[in-house]
Amino acid sequence: MIRVSGRAAPDIAVTILGRCPSPRHATYIDFLDTDGSTIDRGIAIYFPAPHSYTGENILELQGHGGTAVLQRLLQRCLALGAKLAEPGEFTKRAYLNDKLDLAQAEAVADLIDASTDLAARSAMRSLSGEFSSHVHALRERLINLRMYVEACLDFPEEDIDFITEGGVIDKLESIRNELSLLSTTAKQGSILREGIQVVLIGQPNVGKSSLMNQLAGQDIAIVTAIAGTTRDTIRSEIQLEGVPIHVIDTAGLRETVDEVEIFGIQRTWRAAETAHIALILVDATHGITENEKSILARLSGVPQQIWIHNKIDLVNSSPEIREVDGKTHIFLSAKTGHGISLLKQHLLELAGWRAGTEGVFMARQRHLKALDGVSQSIENAKKNLNQAELLAEDLRLAQESLNEITGEFTSDDLLGEIFGRFCIGK
Amino acid sequence: MQFPEIFDVIVVGGGHAGTEAALASARMGRKTLLLTHNIETLGQMSCNPSIGGIGKGHLVKEVDALGGAMATATDEGGIQFRILNSSKGPAVRATRAQADRILYKAAIRWRLENQPNLWLFQQAVDDVIIEGDRIAGVITQIGLRFKAKAVVLTAGTFLNGLVHVGLENYRAGRAGDPPAISLAARLRELSLPAGRLKTGTPPRIDGRTIDYSVLEEQPGDDPVPVFSFLGSPEQHPQQLPCWIAHTNERTHEIIRSGLDRSPMYTGVIEGVGPRYCPSVEDKIMRFAGKESHQVFLEPEGLATNEIYPNGISTSLPFDVQINLVRSIRGLENAHILRPGYAIEYDYYDPRGLKNSFETKAIQGLFFGGQINGTTGYEEAAAQGLLAGINAALYAWDEPAWCPSRDQAYIGVLVDDLITRGVSEPYRMFTSRAEYRLMLREDNADIRLTEVGRKIGVVDDVRWEAFSRKQEAIARETERLKRTFVYPAMLDETIATAVLGKQIEREYPLFELLRRPEVSYEALLSLTGDEGESDPQVRQQLEISAKYQGYIDRQQDEIQRSRYYESLEIPEDLDYRDVKGLSIEAQQKLNVYKPQTLGQAGRVSGITPAAVSLLLVYLKKKYKAKNTKDLGDAA
Repeated sequence: MIRVSGRAAPDIAVTILGRCPSPRHATYIDFLDTDGSTIDRGIAIYFPAPHSYTGENILELQGHGGTAVLQRLLQRCLALGAKLAEPGEFTKRAYLNDKLDLAQAEAVADLIDASTDLAARSAMRSLSGEFSSHVHALRERLINLRMYVEACLDFPEEDIDFITEGGVIDKLESIRNELSLLSTTAKQGSILREGIQVVLIGQPNVGKSSLMNQLAGQDIAIVTAIAGTTRDTIRSEIQLEGVPIHVIDTAGLRETVDEVEIFGIQRTWRAAETAHIALILVDATHGITENEKSILARLSGVPQQIWIHNKIDLVNSSPEIREVDGKTHIFLSAKTGHGISLLKQHLLELAGWRAGTEGVFMARQRHLKALDGVSQSIENAKKNLNQAELLAEDLRLAQESLNEITGEFTSDDLLGEIFGRFCIGK
Repeated sequence: MQFPEIFDVIVVGGGHAGTEAALASARMGRKTLLLTHNIETLGQMSCNPSIGGIGKGHLVKEVDALGGAMATATDEGGIQFRILNSSKGPAVRATRAQADRILYKAAIRWRLENQPNLWLFQQAVDDVIIEGDRIAGVITQIGLRFKAKAVVLTAGTFLNGLVHVGLENYRAGRAGDPPAISLAARLRELSLPAGRLKTGTPPRIDGRTIDYSVLEEQPGDDPVPVFSFLGSPEQHPQQLPCWIAHTNERTHEIIRSGLDRSPMYTGVIEGVGPRYCPSVEDKIMRFAGKESHQVFLEPEGLATNEIYPNGISTSLPFDVQINLVRSIRGLENAHILRPGYAIEYDYYDPRGLKNSFETKAIQGLFFGGQINGTTGYEEAAAQGLLAGINAALYAWDEPAWCPSRDQAYIGVLVDDLITRGVSEPYRMFTSRAEYRLMLREDNADIRLTEVGRKIGVVDDVRWEAFSRKQEAIARETERLKRTFVYPAMLDETIATAVLGKQIEREYPLFELLRRPEVSYEALLSLTGDEGESDPQVRQQLEISAKYQGYIDRQQDEIQRSRYYESLEIPEDLDYRDVKGLSIEAQQKLNVYKPQTLGQAGRVSGITPAAVSLLLVYLKKKYKAKNTKDLGDAA
C-alpha cells in the first residue's frame, strides 16, 4: 500500500485516479500512469484533513502488490511532487498536528517494535491514551495540591490556613500512593518490552546447557557428558507468558589450561555482571560444594541469585522450591523437565510480572525515569513540610517531571530520539 | 508653538511608572522631560497607601537595586513596616510598608526636582507626533510641540477613564483628576490593539469616627525593617499600627440588597477587574459561603485622620456604601470622607510590545505601567524603570536591555506580559516565577546592581556600598570554606548547643553552616571568631550555604532552556511560510511576532508541536537557505 499525506494529496489523487475519491469511501478504481495507461487497479481511500491519522489530507492506494507494480506507482507519486517519508514521519506529523501526544506517539513505536502479542496489545492500550490519562489524572492532583501550597505562599494575609484547609499532608500521601501504583504498572510495560536477563552459571557438567534447551524448548546448546563442552556464552530469547527472557548459557567455571576455555570463563563472569538473575546450577547428587559457594560470593552484584539443584531424577526426589537463609532453592531435572514450571513461575515473579494484571501499558525508560523523578520530588516534598517554599519547589519539580512524559514542553534532542525510532509504513 | 529644547526622552505621566522612567533616563545622562497634567500629583498613590507585599516587595527591591526611587521614598514616608512570610523561607519573604501619602509624594517630588538632566513641565498631552513609523514627539493641550527621539507613555488609568459610583458615572483619570480623552482617541487611531480594564477603590473613612477599642491592632515589626539596600530605620518617620475589622452577615445582606444598582452586576461596566483584588460585592457573590471578610484599616498618614479600609473596594451606590461601612463592628458611627468607586480605562495589549517595552508598531514609542494592563504601584514602577532605561538606550542608538526570567521578577513581568497578554489586570505573585528560590528580595542587588551600573542607572554611592558588601561576602565565604574545626578544638557544651552533638571528624565551617539549624551567629560562637557584622552580608552567607542544592538545580534547569530562550526569530519571518502550523498559530504569531523561540512557546495557544515545527523551520532556514519544505510524504 502507498500512503500520501499532505496538502497536495487530493491533487495527486485527481492526476492518478482521474478524480478525488469521496472521503472515507473505499473506491475500486484504475491507477493511471503519465500516458494514461493503467498501472494497477485497486482500492483508493481519501481522508481529508483534519480527520486523518496525520491530521493532513491522506490518500491511500492499495494495489495488488508485486514489487514492480508498487515501485511504478511510487515513482508516479514522487514525480507528482511527493517525497519519501522519513522513518516515523507520519507519526511525527500526527504529533505536530496535535493528533497524538508524545506518550501516544511513542506507543506507536512500541506497536512497531512489539516482539510479542501481549506487548502489542499493551502498546495498543497506551495508544488509546490510557497511559496519558493516568498521568494527566496524577497531574491534576498535583496541580490541585500546588494550588494550596502556592496560595499559602502568595496570600499570607488571608485568614485561611491553606496548608490545613487543603489537607496538604493527606494529598501528598495520596499522590504518593497513586504514583507507586502508576510506577508499578508502568514497570510491567517496561518488562514486556525490554525483558529480563538470566544467566546460567555453575561448574562444568552440572547441566546448564540442558536447562537452557529445556527453557528454550529446543536444542540450542550442545549437550555432552564431557565437561567443558560449552566454550562460549550462548544467548537465546525465550518467552514466558509474553515476557521476553534473555537466557545466557555460559562456560562451566573450573581451573583449566585450555586457552579457549579460559576466554570462555572470562566471558561467563562478564555476562554474569550484567544479568538481572543468576541461576547457579549444582548437581543434586553432590549438594552445594565449597567451589559453588565461592561462585555465589563473586555474584554479589547480580540482584537475584537462585540455587538450581539439577538432576533430581538421579536421586529420585521430586521437584520443589524452598527458601533457605533468604535464598531460593529450586530442585528440578533439566533432562526430564520435572520442576521446570516451578522455575518459570519463579522467574516471572522475580521479573515483577503478575499474570492477568489489567492496565499494563508500554512505558519507555524515559517514562520510568520521569516517574522516578516525580517520586523523588514527592519524597523530598514530604521532608520539607515545614519549609513551605521548598515544599513548593519540590512540587513544581514533580510537575516538571510529569510534563516530560506527556511532552508539554520538550527539548529538541528528545524529539529527535523519538522520531528517529519510527520506520516507514508502521 | 515648538518648544525650544529638543529632548532625548519625553515621559508622559507622573505616577509610579512615569517618575521611575524619567529618573532612570535622566540618571543615564539623557536629556529628559517629564510631562504631567499636574505637578502637584507627582508620585500620587491613587489607591491604597501601601508599598510592597508578596512579589511586589520583590519588585521594589529590584527597582531599588537599579537605582530607582520607590524603596527610598518608602523608607522616608513609611509609617509601618512588616516582613510577610518570615517563617516560610527567604525566597517568599517580602517587605510591606504603609506609607504616609504626603511624605511619600514629597520624597518622590524632591528626587524629581533635584535630578540632573530632568526637566518637569505641567501640561496634559493630547497628541503624539509620528513621522513614518517613528515617534518624533508630543503635542500638549495648548498646542505646545515637544520634540524627542523617544517617548515613554505612562498614562495609568487616565486614557478614556470612566468613574462609576452606583449607576452614576463620569469621565475622570481618577477621582479628582481629568481623564485623557484626546490622547486616547489619537492612540486608538494608531490601531494599536486596545482593550478595557477596570479597577476599584474603597470609601475612605474619617479616623475620628472609628471605635478602635473593639478592633484588633496590627503593629509593625520590631525591629523595624527597611526597604532600600541603602536605607536605615532612622529614615523612618513616626510609626503607626493598622487595625483589623470584619464584615458580617448584615454587611453581606446590605451588599446583596444593593446589587440591582451595582454597575458591575447590571452590566454597565464592561472592563474586566482583577480576580485577586475583588470588590467587596464580588467577594460576597463569589464566596457566598464565607461568613466574614477581613477589612484592614490603614492610616493614610501622620498629618491626617483619613483611614483606608483595605478589603471593601466597591462601586455600589453611595447610600449602600454608608450602610455597609456602618454595619461593621467599630465603624458604626463612621463618616465617609470620599466615596468608593470603580474606574474603567483603556489599556494596550502588551503583546504589541517588545521586551524593551517599545511598541512593535511605532519605533521609539514605549509604554510602561497600567497602560500595559497591569495593576499596582510596584508593577508600574518596575515597568516605568525598564521603559525609561530602554527609551534612553534607544535615544542614543544603544541595544535594548531586559532581564531574563531567571534574573529578576521584572523579567518575569515583562515576559508574561509580552508573550501571554492579560485577561485581567496583571499583578505579580511569587508563583509566577519558576526560579523563585533564586529571585529573592535579599539578593536583588546581587542580581541587578552590576548590570545597572553598566547601563548607567546606579550612582557612585550605591555602587560603592554594593562593592563593599560583595567583597565582604566573598572574603567571608572563602574564610568559612578554608577554616576547619576539629573535634578536639570544640568545647563539648558549645558544640552540643550549636550542632546538637559533638562533631566526630573535622569539618570546614561552611559545611556546618549548610545545616538547617545552624545560624551564622551560632557558627561564630563555635570558634569565637568575630566574623562579619553587616546583617545583609550575614544573611547572604547563610542563605547561599543552606540553599545551595536547590539553587544548583535551578541553574541546571535554566541551562537547559537557554537554547530556546536564545534562539532568535527573525523579525521579518512570515509564519505562513512555516508549513504545518495551524492557521490560528500562524495568525497569532504573525500578530505578536515573538523575539525568541522561548517567547513563542509561551504565547497562549502555541502548542509544543508548533514550537517544534518552528524549531525545525528555523533550523532548516539557518542551515541551508535553499532547502525545500516538508512537502508531501509517500
